[in-house]
Amino acid sequence: MMNNSLLFGCIAFLILASTVLSFEVQGNEKSQDKEQVLQTKEVYGTVRDSVGPIPGVSVTIKNTTTGTTTDLNGKYILEVPDDPNTTLVFSMVGFDPQEIVIGNQTSIDVTLQVSSTQLDEAVVVAFGTQKRTDLIGSVTSINPSELKVPSSNLTTALAGRLAGVIAYQRSGEPGADNAEFFIRGVTTFGYKKDPLILIDNIELTSTDLARLNPDDIASFSIMKDATATALYGARGANGVILVTTKEGKEGQARVSFRLENSISSPTQDVELADPITYMRLNNEAILTRDPLGRLLYSDEKINNTVPGSNSLIFPSTDWRKELFKDHAINQRANLSVSGGGKVARYYVAGSFNQDNGVLKVDNRNNFNNNINLKTSSLRANVNINLTPTTELITRLSGTFDDYTGPIYSGGGFYTRVMRANPVLFPAYYPVDADHSFVKHIMFGNFEEGNYLNPYADMVRGYKDYARSNMNAQFQLQQDFGFITEGLSARGLVNTARISFFDVIRQYEPFYYQLGAYNLRNNSYQINIINPDDGEDYLSYQPGEKTISSTVYLETAVNYNRTFAEKHNVSGMLVYILREALDANSATLQESLPFRNVGLSGRATYSYDNRYYAEFNFGYNGSERFYKAQRFGFFPSAGLAWTISNEKFWEPLKSTITNLRLRGTYGIVGNDAIGAGRFLYLSEVNPNDNDRRAVFGTNNGYSRNGVSISRYSDLNITWETAKKANIALELGISNRWNIIAEYFREHRTNILQSRASTPASMGLWATPAANIGEAKGKGIDFSLDYNQSFLNGSWIQARANFTYATSAYEIFEEYDYTNEWWKSRVGYPINQRWGYIAESLFVDEAEVTNSPRQNFGEYLAGDIKYRDINKDGQITELDMVPIGYPTMPEIVYGFGVSYGIKNFDISTFFQGLARESFWIDPEATAPFVPYHYSDQERNSGILYRNQLLQAYAESYWSEDNRDLYALFPRLSTYPIENNTQSSTWFMRNGAFLRLKQVELGYTLPKSITEKLRMSNLRIYANGTNLLTWSKFDLWDIEMAGNGLRYPVQKVYNIGLQASF
Amino acid sequence: MKKLYIYASLIIGLIFGSCQNYLDIVPDNVATIDNSFNMRVSAERFLFSCYSYLPKLSNIEKNPAFTAGDEIWLHDNYITPGWQIAQGNQNVVDPFLNYWQGTRSGDDLYQAIRDCNIFLENIDLVPDMEEGERLRWIAEVKFLKAYYHFYLIRMYGPIPLKKENLPIDTDPEAVKVPRNTLDECFEYVVELLDESTAYLPPKILNESTELGRITQPIALAIKAYVLATAASPLFNGNPDYTNFKDKQGNLIFGTTYSAEKWERAKEACRLAIEAAEAAGARLYYYSQSGQQYNVSPDLEIQMNIRNAVTEKWNDEIIWGHSNSMTDNMQVQATPRGLDPANRASAGARGNAGVPIKIASIFYSKNGVPIEEDKAWDYAGRFNLRQASAEEEHLIKLGYTTANLNFDREQRFYASLGFDGGIWFGQGKFNEEEAFFVSAKKGDPASNVTNATFNATGYWAKKLVNYTNVITATGYNREQYPWPIIRLANLYLLYAETLNESGGPSSEVYQWLDLVRERAGLAGVVDSWAQHSVNPTKPLNQDGLREIIHRERLIELALEGQRYWDLRRWKKATEELNKPITGWDIEQRTPEGYYREKVLFQQSFSTRDYLWPIRENELLANKNTVQNPGW
Repeated sequence: MMNNSLLFGCIAFLILASTVLSFEVQGNEKSQDKEQVLQTKEVYGTVRDSVGPIPGVSVTIKNTTTGTTTDLNGKYILEVPDDPNTTLVFSMVGFDPQEIVIGNQTSIDVTLQVSSTQLDEAVVVAFGTQKRTDLIGSVTSINPSELKVPSSNLTTALAGRLAGVIAYQRSGEPGADNAEFFIRGVTTFGYKKDPLILIDNIELTSTDLARLNPDDIASFSIMKDATATALYGARGANGVILVTTKEGKEGQARVSFRLENSISSPTQDVELADPITYMRLNNEAILTRDPLGRLLYSDEKINNTVPGSNSLIFPSTDWRKELFKDHAINQRANLSVSGGGKVARYYVAGSFNQDNGVLKVDNRNNFNNNINLKTSSLRANVNINLTPTTELITRLSGTFDDYTGPIYSGGGFYTRVMRANPVLFPAYYPVDADHSFVKHIMFGNFEEGNYLNPYADMVRGYKDYARSNMNAQFQLQQDFGFITEGLSARGLVNTARISFFDVIRQYEPFYYQLGAYNLRNNSYQINIINPDDGEDYLSYQPGEKTISSTVYLETAVNYNRTFAEKHNVSGMLVYILREALDANSATLQESLPFRNVGLSGRATYSYDNRYYAEFNFGYNGSERFYKAQRFGFFPSAGLAWTISNEKFWEPLKSTITNLRLRGTYGIVGNDAIGAGRFLYLSEVNPNDNDRRAVFGTNNGYSRNGVSISRYSDLNITWETAKKANIALELGISNRWNIIAEYFREHRTNILQSRASTPASMGLWATPAANIGEAKGKGIDFSLDYNQSFLNGSWIQARANFTYATSAYEIFEEYDYTNEWWKSRVGYPINQRWGYIAESLFVDEAEVTNSPRQNFGEYLAGDIKYRDINKDGQITELDMVPIGYPTMPEIVYGFGVSYGIKNFDISTFFQGLARESFWIDPEATAPFVPYHYSDQERNSGILYRNQLLQAYAESYWSEDNRDLYALFPRLSTYPIENNTQSSTWFMRNGAFLRLKQVELGYTLPKSITEKLRMSNLRIYANGTNLLTWSKFDLWDIEMAGNGLRYPVQKVYNIGLQASF
Repeated sequence: MKKLYIYASLIIGLIFGSCQNYLDIVPDNVATIDNSFNMRVSAERFLFSCYSYLPKLSNIEKNPAFTAGDEIWLHDNYITPGWQIAQGNQNVVDPFLNYWQGTRSGDDLYQAIRDCNIFLENIDLVPDMEEGERLRWIAEVKFLKAYYHFYLIRMYGPIPLKKENLPIDTDPEAVKVPRNTLDECFEYVVELLDESTAYLPPKILNESTELGRITQPIALAIKAYVLATAASPLFNGNPDYTNFKDKQGNLIFGTTYSAEKWERAKEACRLAIEAAEAAGARLYYYSQSGQQYNVSPDLEIQMNIRNAVTEKWNDEIIWGHSNSMTDNMQVQATPRGLDPANRASAGARGNAGVPIKIASIFYSKNGVPIEEDKAWDYAGRFNLRQASAEEEHLIKLGYTTANLNFDREQRFYASLGFDGGIWFGQGKFNEEEAFFVSAKKGDPASNVTNATFNATGYWAKKLVNYTNVITATGYNREQYPWPIIRLANLYLLYAETLNESGGPSSEVYQWLDLVRERAGLAGVVDSWAQHSVNPTKPLNQDGLREIIHRERLIELALEGQRYWDLRRWKKATEELNKPITGWDIEQRTPEGYYREKVLFQQSFSTRDYLWPIRENELLANKNTVQNPGW
């Protein structure tokens, strides 16, 4: 299956590549003919920057591979065709390339400008672009190539790479491994906390962002402050991620492709105790709570079990080994073609990723139940000049996920392995003489057959799902320079269709158990458990189907003009309309279209590249609110001063090349304030089955009742964020580039439920109102360093750091005048409250003499909590804020890249700090039933937690009364006393990891030329290679989620070529 | 220039003119609460909503009376919220079976009351209703409102009464209502019941669609029970609560004893019995006519008892809970492996174990307590004995079992299944071939899987309809409406109130003996005179009180009455501090099996008489005080 798809991919590439190549070859032949007939001449000169001559600058003749580099003194000599149209290209890392038509000159001196990617680059901002030097708002943009990680998920690359982004990844499961990311942390305790994501101006989800191919990205920007986001009005408060895709450039068709093949394996597996310890401790867990309890495992069984013996009489099943392979192999390929002429330009790209899970496949089934996620995308951006002033752009894109996998998610199997009994039965019994006629797999089970056999769950069937997202965009731009200079307008229509379905095919397994056995001759009998229930044929279950559509319309007028060379004025007005429909709504209210309208505008003025001012506003309406509350006005303003452009700075200009101050203040909103819509309306279910009553001799007459799930409140409206931002930009010697920003935010009108309503009021639902307030503040910091050396090597280093913290300002809660420690006000939004665990109880006397703990049964060896309010019992009033917030307050990253000759190497480290997490005491409690969902709870299957090796090594027992053991007294049923939120299971989430290392080799021109390529680079990289943290049960980035699909370590080799 | 303005204003006008409409997407006829009272049909749905909150009394997970006391004992693989209470785990942080807030398997009764109030506020608006029906519906909802209040009072003592709804936008301070006094609470319940009685039908005529709706006899019976509860020691002059004050310092739990309360309860019982009998209620007697089974006299008496509970809508049922059909409880009460041919079937689960102390309360065959019976060897009750032909309708012939299971009254055999006990029905309707339970280790009804088993060795046979059939993979059940109140209950309540208000009299004996007669026992005076070591016990008020209490615990055993009776009699501190015991079910031999094994040492203190109010409710409502001791 895997090989097939690889083969298919290769063939597709070959066909495409050969088509393009043949076209390309013809073109090249012509130019070579031309060269041969021309004479040559020598040109020479010096290349400098604002400081002095620069060595190692590449000087080439445009559209050829002929060229040289400057020497130590920045000088060069080059033989060129004696044609006045010949163009020289001067290029070097960290500087803008410069092209010069030689004309009749023979001496050409050049001054290179520091790269525009740092200074003059056009940065994508809301509904337009601005030069970085003009920027007042807080926008981080990143070179898309930095987002290139060996993963099919772009979101996993965000952490530590963008100043201002708090990001972390909790799961490594293909298709469900999106990192969570927040811009400048979270300053609301309302509903929507994550940023607005716009791809080519279209609002999409983080999954769509995840599927985006970095090679197709032209720009990737994060909008952080009010000035950058005010135009998005009521939807900009959580920040905005803005991505644009590449467009074609005039010139010959340029083809580039990339192939990658990677091996991924879990960064760390959770270690489980051996089966003998498991049985011993399980027996202990029974007796320690109930001395008269019945033991599960006899001495005979414990003594005869040998791990790894494959014994069927005394099985020891390593479920992880039965289910999972050590690693998975994944492939990624993408191809793009771009080019065009005077009239039209195109960028066409396709990509294909294949991600495989680590599940084993049972060859006795003819279907594949391993995870196989194919994601492919196709993108075509075409720009057409209809007239010299009119441009038409169409963008078509589609992303498609095709998944085949087990009926439960990959993560579902990790959690199943953690709850399967390792000693009662093997995964399956081999066919013996008694069962030679059997056509099905003889899965192992016990007693009634309601024990969990994860292997049976894995091979009993498979699931297909398909997701597609199609976008079609049409944009028309008109330059109205003929009316007045600098005026232009554009209109854009986009429609998106997203669809999803899944299908499950499965059979009901036949289970067998061990019957009589004879140890002497090692013979045994197996008996079928469920002859009536099992099936040896597949049945079919249609699953969820979703369809949604979005239509978006945007019209804008732009004005941009410079007067008297010094006064730069620009203005813009944008009008947008958006409608989204969802075909799978549960209620009438949900089924109504989602709509937004908005008018936004921007006005900027700058004087002499020194003083800048900007005003933005958004005027937005959302259908979610009552008429009177529907529209909001969100203004913002900013000022900037480029000190380094002042006259008085001239003497310093060569060392401090850039010094700039900027500040903004403004208001933005967040209209996604609750899970439901129309929160101002009451929600009544006039036909509620839960409120049904039935009467009559044979229950013959029943009527559903009425229920209310929400009360009407016409005043409900959006959240408002007042944001302030101050930034300092500093450039030193063209090598160092530093941006430091400080921000504050005050969020008001946060929707929260009225806590003070007693239950005796009898309300169906707790009313909610816009009463909450929160504030946030923090720092973003980024540093870049670029330098080239005499020997042609170069080094780049970058670091960034984000600190964002928040606090409740106004939060309606119970009156905690006497228990002030219970009040949330002043504490971070993700702060957790819990009990202070003092130790484990040493004996029953201590239990009796300590304050009563109100969480059910507790004995010696259970957790002892501190009575904070000294009222003689432990209740919720004794909870205090514990640990750091559950979302990291600090995320940072730093990396160095170094290149010499054709080699390049880069490393990137990433870390986070000021985060606490909790080991889930219920999911890890050994021998206890634990369910991740109601579906599991009601399935009738016995899920019993496995024993973690760490717990087996450190737990309280009657013989070893370790008061600070990792795990309290064992039990076979949940002990609520020990599962309270407390400091006992709290851990520090800080870590630093070697996130990525990449080693690349670019083939020398002499070879690539022969291959008719312009560039060919092969590289190897790896992610999540090393981690430093104090926590060692599982990969710390997964935090409390550690028993699920682990975060992956990936080794990857790739090839990138263009021609 | 002028043209430009025109165009500009036109464009702006278009944009903003359309804006407002563009966002108007909510259609006019979205459902609101007012819709419920536009028509009779929708108002009926609201009426049914009010009914829907009736606590699901047949549900072992929800009815505290099964597992929160000592009547049913479970095991670690089947834990109900009530059983947590039984094991002393009740708490203020998140109380089990919290009916005040509707959490931890409790129903939200204050929400129920709010629904009732909404109904009463709006029912006059319904245009297409006949007046008589409107009055009946109002009466039903008033009854429900009274019942919900009473359910809370019985658990929590004095509560904040909700005579009318506070509007949703009430000032946050005004919603913090204090608790009313206990007397106000009981008075209000009685007042509502009185208001409702007149407009309720004496009898359901349209049985096929209305059986289960509230009738006059139901309202009168509940009133009798409410008044008897108010007159009982827990709520009548209980000195334990002398300092039970609210935040303002008012005493909210009256501690003066009033004999008049018993008088009032007695009168209410009389009226309730009269109304019930006038509507055709009578004690259930199993009738052979039309049945093809040939049953022995012993079995006939047992069928009187079993069917009085499990035969739906039999004549004895005053209030059958059609919204709580007894289903899972039958699964839990039936021994797994009762049918040895289908011992692998997981249809019957049998988790509900009955402790030995419950099995011990049933009388000897002479109709007196086994510890008082002159002829019954109480000290040797755990000795073994083999069943002879004499008791072959009760215990499997030749089976060895404990003395405790021999020479008991028929209600013992009707109510309990036990190792060696005959179990009629369940697909075997020929008495000679009837199933018997075999529960020692390795036997069909023993613990096989550790997940479903009976921890004590006694099964609640009384709750199992005899026509249910265990199949290879399931269990076909005849569901029956849970009997909230049946006539025998009223008779015994009447006897109790008569004795409390006037002491022993022939009238007291008469009501007691009616119940005893149906169980095949002689009258109370004769039985004691002939067989008891304390022959004059029925002749004095205290002795008779003991007898009435015991009769009530036996007759209504396993029906969720004991739990509340022990409380109102203030006997829980005595009874619920005794150990829970069962047979040693892991043994294979009779000698091993018939040893009394302690399963749990229960503890019950004064504070446990009243439920704790959850801590956060007290924080939300600073004017409400916690119950004493919590």
